[in-house]
This record gives sequence, C-alpha cells and structure tokens, in this order.
Amino acid sequence: MKKDIDIKSVAKLAAINLSENEEKKLEKDLNIILEHVEALSKMNIDDEEISIHPLGETLNLREDISSEFLTHDEAMSNSPETEEGHFVVPPSLD
Amino acid sequence: MNMIPTIGMETHVELNTNSKMFCNCPVVETEDPNISLCPTCLGLPGALPVPNYKAIESITMLALSVNCSITNNGMFHRKNYFYPDLPKNYQISQFDLPVGVNGSLEIILDESTETVEIERVHMEEDTGKSIHKGSGRIDSATSTLLDFNRSGVPLVEIVTKPVIKSSREAISYIEELRQLVIDLGISEGKLEKGNLRFDANISVAKQGDKELGVKVEIKNMNSLRSLEKAIDFEIKRQTKLIESNKEIIQETRHWDEGKEVTSSMRSKEGSADYRYFSDPDLPNMILTDEFINNIKKMIPTLPSEKRNKLTETGLSMSESNHLGKSEVWIYDLYLETQKLTNDSKATYNLITGELQGQLRKAEIENIPEWVNSERLSEIIKMINDKKISFTSGKEILTNLIQNEINPTVFAESNNLIQENDFDEISKIVKDVIEANKEIVQRINDGEEKLVGFLVGQVIKSSDGNINPSIAKELLLKEL
Amino acid sequence: MNLLNSSISKINKLYKDKELKPSEVYEQVFNNAALSESIIHAHLKLFQEECIEASKLSDERFAKGKQLSQLDGIPIAIKDNINLKNHETTCSSKMLSNYVSPYDATVISKLRNSGVVFTGKTNLDEFAMGSSTENSAFGPTKNPWNPEYVPGGSSGGSAAVVSVGSALASLGSDTGGSIRQPASFCGVVGFKPTYGTVSRYGLVAFASSLDQIGPITNSVEDAKLMFNSIKGHDPLDATSIVDTSIEIPDDKTAKVGVIKELMEDGISEESKNEVEKTIKLLEEEGNKVVEVSLPLTKVALSIYYLIAPAECSANLSRFDGVRYGSREAGETSYQMMENTRAEGFGEEVKKRILLGTYALSAGYYDAYYGQALKARSLITNDFENIFQDVDYLISPTTPTPAFKFGEKTENPLEMYMSDLCTIPANLAGLPAISIPTGLSSKNMPLSIQLMSPARTDSSLLKFSEKLENLISFDQRAPLLKEMK
Repeated sequence: MKKDIDIKSVAKLAAINLSENEEKKLEKDLNIILEHVEALSKMNIDDEEISIHPLGETLNLREDISSEFLTHDEAMSNSPETEEGHFVVPPSLD
Repeated sequence: MNMIPTIGMETHVELNTNSKMFCNCPVVETEDPNISLCPTCLGLPGALPVPNYKAIESITMLALSVNCSITNNGMFHRKNYFYPDLPKNYQISQFDLPVGVNGSLEIILDESTETVEIERVHMEEDTGKSIHKGSGRIDSATSTLLDFNRSGVPLVEIVTKPVIKSSREAISYIEELRQLVIDLGISEGKLEKGNLRFDANISVAKQGDKELGVKVEIKNMNSLRSLEKAIDFEIKRQTKLIESNKEIIQETRHWDEGKEVTSSMRSKEGSADYRYFSDPDLPNMILTDEFINNIKKMIPTLPSEKRNKLTETGLSMSESNHLGKSEVWIYDLYLETQKLTNDSKATYNLITGELQGQLRKAEIENIPEWVNSERLSEIIKMINDKKISFTSGKEILTNLIQNEINPTVFAESNNLIQENDFDEISKIVKDVIEANKEIVQRINDGEEKLVGFLVGQVIKSSDGNINPSIAKELLLKEL
Repeated sequence: MNLLNSSISKINKLYKDKELKPSEVYEQVFNNAALSESIIHAHLKLFQEECIEASKLSDERFAKGKQLSQLDGIPIAIKDNINLKNHETTCSSKMLSNYVSPYDATVISKLRNSGVVFTGKTNLDEFAMGSSTENSAFGPTKNPWNPEYVPGGSSGGSAAVVSVGSALASLGSDTGGSIRQPASFCGVVGFKPTYGTVSRYGLVAFASSLDQIGPITNSVEDAKLMFNSIKGHDPLDATSIVDTSIEIPDDKTAKVGVIKELMEDGISEESKNEVEKTIKLLEEEGNKVVEVSLPLTKVALSIYYLIAPAECSANLSRFDGVRYGSREAGETSYQMMENTRAEGFGEEVKKRILLGTYALSAGYYDAYYGQALKARSLITNDFENIFQDVDYLISPTTPTPAFKFGEKTENPLEMYMSDLCTIPANLAGLPAISIPTGLSSKNMPLSIQLMSPARTDSSLLKFSEKLENLISFDQRAPLLKEMK
C-alpha cells in the first residue's frame, strides 16, 4: 500500500486549511511515518471478530430516564456568536 | 422505449423515548432553542455517549416486525463529516453490523398486497436544526442559526432494497411503515412534525436491461404528496435524458416544493468519504437470543396480520386496510360482532360508518362498556331480518350510546318494529289507493314521481312502521 | 518540616493529630510554586484564592474531627485536559485558550467529595500529543532536575509540580506513556491504571481506547490512595468497567518476567542497568526472575501510531469554532471551520489528525487501521500467555533518561520511539507503574516499569510498594535545594 500521501485531499477531509509550507512539511513527515508502518500493513493476520473494548467488555445500556444537565446559559456560555438563543455561524451550504 | 423505474426508500423514524439516544437529556418539543443540552449532545470536550435501552428495545421490535434477522453482536460506528448542526462532526451510527438485516414489509397496492424487501434497519442519532437567515433561500443566506435540542434524539433508519416500481407503491410503503411504528408504540409517526422523514433513490432502465440505471438521490420531500410528485418528476426527467442519449449524473437532488422540480444541490466534490470506523467509546452490543425473544413477545398485532384477519371475514382490501388502521378497540369490536352476525359488510358499515361517527359527534372519547358486540349484533340482526329500518337502527344506536338499553326492547317500546306482513300492508295500500284516486290517475298518466307520495301516505297511515320497500312494491303491483 | 519528602498518608496523620493544618501545607506548596514557576513553567493556572478558601474549610473539618477522607486538605494539581467546572480547560491549545468548562469530570467530582484542594491546572503537550511538553501552545515546561531538559510528556506539567513540591500529587492522563514517561523523567512515581477502571468522562479524548487518567505522586502508597479515590464504574462512561479487581496471591514470593525485546538495542545502557539492579534486589528477596519474549514489541509502535491518530482524528473533529473555542472568519461555515482548525491546532496535532484521517480513508482502512486493530489483539493475547507463567513484568520505563529541548523534534520517528516501553500496556489495557530508581551520569532520574495483568491494579501497587522500599530512592531535584 505504499503510496505517497495526497496531503491536499486529506486536509480537505479533515477540514484544515493548510498553508503551502505546512503542506510540504506535513507531507514529508507523514510519508516517513507511513514508511515505518509499512511492515505492519504487510503482516498476514487472520480475520477474527474484533473486540472494541481492550478487555473484551460488552456494552451496558442505560435506562430511558430523562434528567436535565446544562441550563440554556451554561450551554451558550462559550459560544463565539449567539442570536436569539441560537448559535450563529456563517451560512452553511446544503 | 419502455423505461422501468426502480426506487429505493430510505426512511428515518424518530423514536418517542423520554431521553435522547446517548445521554439523559429530555426529548423535547419546544420553540425555545438550546434548552435540552448536556456535554454529550452538545459535543463538548470530554463528553461520552451511553446508549438508551428503550431505543434498542424499540429498534429491535421494529426490525422483528419487518421480519429482519437480528444481529447478535452489533457495533456502533462513527460516520465522519463536517457540518455545523453535527456537534461532534461525526454521527454515531451503524455501518456493517446494523441491528436488523434482510427483512420485508407487506404493503397494499390496489386490492392486493405486495412485499417490499428491506435491506437493513439501523440505529443512529439525530442532528441539530439549522435555520438559514437571509432571503430564506438556502443559497443566498447570510448566516445560519443553530438549535441543538434535537441533537442526539434516537433515529431508526430503514433502507429498502431497490424494488419499488412506482410513486404509488412508494406512498403505500411509507403509509404502511408509518402505521407500523404507530401500532408498535415507538413513534408518533407525524410527518408534519418530522417524526418520519424519507429520501428516495431513483433510477430508470430500459426494459430488458439486466443492470439498474444510474442512481439519483432525492431529498427534501416533506409530505406524501411531494413524495409522489418528486418521484414522478424524476422518472420523467431521467427518461427524457436517456431518450435523448444524454448522461444521468449520479448525484443528490433537492425537491423544490414551489417550482415542483428536482434540482441539483451545490455539488460536494466527489462522493463523500465518511471514513466509518467502530466507535471506541461504545463496546460491542450483544443482543442475546433471550433479549430478542422477550422483544418478540412485546410485539402487538401487526397491521398486516390485522388486515388478513379482516379480509378473511369477507371485507375488501381497502375496507380491511381502513379498519386495520383504526384503534384497537374498534378492530376488536368488529371481529366480535361479525362472529355473531356473520355479516361483515353490515357490521363494518354500522361500526365504522355509524358508531364512530356518532361517538365523534357526541364528543364521547371512550365508548361506554355496554355498547358491546351482543347489542350491536342485535341491532344488525333486526335490520337484516327487516324487523326495523336502517334509520330505526341508527336511532337505536344513538340511544344505546347514551343509555344502557336493550335494543329489542327499545325497538318494541318505541314502535320501531316494522310491519312486514304483506297482507296487512296490502290492506293499507288498498285504502290509500282508494283515498287518492286523483293521484293514482296522474301516476297512470306518467307522473311516476308521485309514487313516493303514496308510499309516504301508506307509512303515515300506520304510525310510520311499515316497511317502505314492501309498501312501494305492493303499491306498484296495484297500480 | 520538609513537606516534599512526605507522603499523603504521613501528612494526613499530622492533620488528624492536629500537628499540622491544611492551610499551612497549602501555604508551603504555594511558596514552592511561586519560587519555581518562573523557572519550570509547570502550571497554566494557579488557583491561589480558591485554595486559601478550600484549605481553610479543610482546617475546620479536621478541627471538628469531620474530615471527608484521607485526601482531605491535600493540595493536588490537575492536568489541563481534565474538565474542572467554571475553570478554563485549554488542553494547552490555542483552540481552547478561552474555553471555560460548564461541568466537572467524574474524577474531579470524586476528589471534590474527598475534600481535595485543587491547586491549579498543569501544562501538557497540546491535546496530550507528545512526549516532551514542547508541543504546548503556551510554552514548554522545564525539568526541575535540569531546566535544559524536557520534563517528558504529555503530562510534563503534572510530573514537574510533584517533583518540585508545588503540589503533593497530581492527575495526569496516559495514552501511550504520558503519565509514566514524564514521571520517570522527573524522578517521581507515575501510575496508569487498567483501562476502564477510572472514568474518562470529562477527560478531553485523545485516543478513546487507550486513554486513562492516573496519579503522579511522591510514593507508591500515595498513588494507591489517589487511585482508590478516583477509580470506580461510571454510568456516564460506557467503557468503564465494574470494579472486579483480581488479586495476585502474595503469600509466596513472586515470579517476574524481564521483557527481552525491551532490553536490546534502542535502550540506553544506563536504563538497562537500572533494570538489572532491580532484578538483583528482587532475587535477593527470594523472587524468581526469568526472561520472557514479546516479539510483537517491535511492531507495537506502528500499531499505536495508527490507532491513536485514527481515533484522535475523529475525537478532535468537534473543535470547529461553532459552539465554543476560538473562531476564525470564513465566508461559509465550512471555510470558517477550516480556518479555525488551521489557526487553532499546532503542528503535531495537525500531523496526527491528518495521519489518522488518511488511515481511515476509503481504500486505506483495511491496510492501516483495520490491520492495526487485528495486530492489537495479537499483543493482548501474547501478554495473556506470558502471564500464565509470570505474575509481573519488568522493563525500563523509557529507552533513555530525559533528553534536551529540541533534541528530538527534527525526525518525527525519534520522538515516537521514546514511547517504545510504555505503549504495549496501553494497547493491551494493562496496569503499569513507573518507579524512580537512581540517577544517570548526567544526574537525571532513571526508573523502571512494572506491569501486571488487567484488573490486578491493587496487587501491582502492593508489589510496587515493596519494591520501592527495596530500591529506597530518595533524591530530590536540585532546584528544590536552590529554592530553599
């Protein structure tokens, strides 16, 4: 799977607007790291059911009981911009 | 060129749980923005999800009701994309191990049934709501306001296989699904409130083609009417393109309610890469056979089962469908009464036509317990035996709703019993003809309308308990 | 009295015997902070006024004999990626420089109920990504043993404050060694509990399947006291486990395994020496020490550097300028997010997010992230097999003692290599502890690491306490002598 990373498209997926300098440096560093992990990607490992929890624990669900947590003011307290109780952002498409 | 449309439906059902999917915040219906929030549903740093038991119960019930196999070892996945109404910029959903797979739903098409194959049923969380300010149109907004009350509400997504063949079928499917979730008690199923939302995937292909055509996703249909119009429009649009040898672009289109067309949405570069991976905050969800069996026991009689029972009694498909969708007590009352009367049509008419209407008019919400199958069947039998007229039957019913009466006794004491004896009526007919020689003459001269007048006279002369159709019959004989 | 060599339990006894008051202890602790901060910059925030208040209330409780716990009146510092209500939680990032938490992490609620005095928030590598605290957006922390050296990371600030006595203990977080490595570099004890024994609710997530909160302390006993106060199943954390602790019988002597692969090339002679010395002590006490092999150790780094970035790439997506944190301008909301994240994140954070995004993207998932998950379970199995034969494992905590600033920032792999010995315990979810043993030729602390099977935390702590006595390392950072 050794391919050079397409830093521009990855940055787009990650929603980070990299500068040209950053793109160059990061591309270089990431390619070094990817080369290092190459050995792992070539290992032949059997397919087994993956346990998500490191200790193999399974999910415990919770009762459908509602309780209040944050007040409106607490929820809005760190908002960069608010209007009539809403969070405000520049227009989003779609 | 005969073009065959193929449609797949993706439906989201909002569950009516008390709390949200991954936190204890109450599920609220309110105009006040951002009042039901916690670190988890607001996506604050350090917050974690814990799934709602009732939601898993509900989705399992739904998946079983549409004949899915239930996944014993389920997993939640993160679906990654950036959007302001998605607090974590990933949605907790399910990817390759959904709760239910490979099911089916029986729907009604005309007077028969069709089976729609269901691909999968999976669990996910809802996003917040966006309000675009500015001119009101999405593409010339000046800012977007966000309300996260809805963020984290449990959603069940149901995806059909691409097997639906027309807009009518799609509507029937949605109606059936809607009734199902209402009957299961897991959702209010109100389209106008957004309890049930749907997108359609549409393609067309030439008749005989082995492969399906290019798939186009249509969003923003908010009612059954717009679903119908959108599907019909899109089929036409794609057909025209193919007929003029033009390409169909695989894309997502938006149904414009005002212009009644589907239009291209501002295209996102390429198709989205959601980078699904198993959510490390949520260990494997084991649904044991014991759990699944317990859920099976909780499932009430399903709409399709009800319909089958009703058609077996002799009702038509649409009558069965209508009665099947009514409240359970009406359904039960019909079945009990029909057993006693053996007359499905009359029972159906009296209960759905008369009884429901009268209860509504009298503003009675809970039917009195003495209005039962015995008394109703008594009324129906009297009508069928022609002991009373249908109108008299209605009158008895009205009184029955108000008071605990015995229909037969009531009919007798209120002089509602019809005279059916031919000889008795003949006598009266002869008397009336005697007394109205002029009218008789006019009838014989062609004024047939006046027969009604004479029938009225016959009935009048005996306190109105003469069977009117017998009276008419005998009159005409004499004339 | 010199507090800095004291343990929490010693001080608690003095409180109970009314020979010392919490407010007096806090005063000393604050003085140490005042003297050392300009040199080491371990704190991002100090809560002086609040602490004076809190320690006074603790005074009163002890006076009435109504102390809340053994931790009552003990000054404890908190790593700044743990939420403390109504205080800033910056994660040492520009992204959150003005973010004020509206809620307490579960561990904080527990410590509050114990009467702890929260001294302040400590510095870290931005979003816990790093091994030197050089990645902090607010300036690095310096090692109290020698300010030219790094304190380790990512919990560099938490380790430094304990080392210099500006807190009696601290909380850090450990994803690939971030508690143990800085504790090692600063000559103090650092303990990473079994995954799931301490709630992660309120810990700003880096890699969800690897993160654990744990104590950094002056002694193993203190680590035990802290651990007992913060552990426990939390209904708000679906990965937290019910307290099903497993005991390793300690009636006989123990069997200890030395991990062969962590005593080979890549490990400095001095670090290997400390392990050898410790093995001798263990054998003298009658314990059996054998060599064991963990061949996947070599590939553990690769596994970690795929899993951690992948998980963090999604965990850090929420930082977008919409609901909190810093925000940059943009014509559309997507542009605003892109610019906010470009401006708010440092280089290392961006690197890991991009690496993770790549490892998860279409076409690469199976080869990278999917593969790493499979390999991870192999490591867990290997450990389980080894523990059939031995009770505990010993290794160096780090390949080398502390390095100098700027020494490892050129090659991305070099910094990552310093996690070689600590990463396996995170991958398998095992408890692990770093205990200081001696000084290097440059007078920088050296240490060894002990590991044990999952859920055997209390046995590990007990065994470590015994070992700590045998080792008897009681040196303190020269800075303290200067400060007196």
